[in-house]
Amino acid sequence: MPLIRAGAGEAAAPAADHAADRAALVAALEGGSAGERLHAARALAVLPGALAPLSAALQMEAEPAVREVIFTALARLACEEAADALLPLLRAEEAGLRNGALAALAAMPARLPARLPALLADPDPDIRLLACELARALPAPEATTLLCAAVERESEPNVCAAALDVLTDLGGPQALPVLERAARRFDATPFLRFAFEVAIGRIRASTAIDP
Amino acid sequence: MNDEDFRRLCEFLYRRSGMVFTEAKRYFVERRLAERMRATGATSFASYFARLRSDQPGEVEPFINAFTVNETYFFREEHQLQCLSTDLLAARLRERPAGGPLRIWSVPCSTGEEPYSIAIWLLEHWPQVDAYEIEIVGSDIDTRALEAARAGLFGRRALMRLPEALIGKYFEPVDDEHWRLIADLRQSIHFSTVNLVDLAQTRAHGRFDVIFCRNVLIYFDEASRRMAAENLYENLLPGGFICLGHSESMSRISPLFEVRRFADAIIYQRPGERGDG
Repeated sequence: MPLIRAGAGEAAAPAADHAADRAALVAALEGGSAGERLHAARALAVLPGALAPLSAALQMEAEPAVREVIFTALARLACEEAADALLPLLRAEEAGLRNGALAALAAMPARLPARLPALLADPDPDIRLLACELARALPAPEATTLLCAAVERESEPNVCAAALDVLTDLGGPQALPVLERAARRFDATPFLRFAFEVAIGRIRASTAIDP
Repeated sequence: MNDEDFRRLCEFLYRRSGMVFTEAKRYFVERRLAERMRATGATSFASYFARLRSDQPGEVEPFINAFTVNETYFFREEHQLQCLSTDLLAARLRERPAGGPLRIWSVPCSTGEEPYSIAIWLLEHWPQVDAYEIEIVGSDIDTRALEAARAGLFGRRALMRLPEALIGKYFEPVDDEHWRLIADLRQSIHFSTVNLVDLAQTRAHGRFDVIFCRNVLIYFDEASRRMAAENLYENLLPGGFICLGHSESMSRISPLFEVRRFADAIIYQRPGERGDG
């Protein structure tokens, strides 16, 4: 039989990333070909001190595949510093950077509770809107508390709609009085009136029948 | 379930699995939903959907299972095996450096039907099978499944797509309902444990010419799916191929791979020209 017997063949050696020289990887990340940058980003991700070069590369990197790998590497690190490195990118002009940062932050829910209150109160409504989506990564009770507080003070209809979208899925009964109050504030905005009705109806249905 | 509920459920299903259900399939969707609501004790769509969205307690997997033909059997998705012997191996032989075995990874391999199918298929359908060393590795996170895979004992249902001649050639009857793979074939597959999002574990498996990774990424959340895809990318030799399940699309997960359309299947390829080999 031409098939190699189990245990007879050694697995081909994986790329020698662990032994790779960190400085060489940083140099590759900064100035290599797309393939070299991609390889360097993955190799660096498992080495100490990866955060700074990866964060710096993200600011410069234009190749979507490499950028994606850097976002995944930061999400994998999931440390406070990685979250802090991603936060400014929520304000990036380029949608790819914003979305990549959003997805990477959503993948580190433990880092969100400390940051979301400020994001949900940010002067920029676009940031508040993205923050609503980030809240989806939290356990339902935490997300409900944060989003209810946001809805209570929110004046921007689109941000309110984003919060409602999440609350419709995750909101618990404690959200009902908040939503009923806020709905009256937005009574003149037809699409929001409808969104409030849907959210309130869904939460009532789920909590009334399955306590 | 009203129209809005139907739309939201289908949207969720599409985002998680890539499966598309239109109004024409509403009856099917409603029946599967009713099954899951019964199983979880949910008494309203809203409560069930909230449970599903938060994946508590692990409801996404059984939910998607309800919409897929989730059983495994020999020669499942035979068109991909056809593509392997017709196109993929030929492409690999043109592109890869000479020497070293052709390496094929079945992950997750569950109870072994897939890696054994690959072995039997190549022995039966790839004329060059005797000219090359071929190493087939089957990996799964479930150690009980791996034990069953190593044992190589299969029931009638697992063999339903195999011609009688092949059952006679590669299996020995145990009783009226069970057959055991011949020892030669059982010993030809290397089985191992792997968690696809664990970089150290995937790296330890080395690089492959072809990876079969079918119907598992749909169960992962977005971040895990991306991590797994990047790990699998690294497990492929430059120019290597990865075969996903029919409802899965690598293009929706990661920009790292190129889509290749062959006569028998759509396959994803690690580009060979990035200079990263």
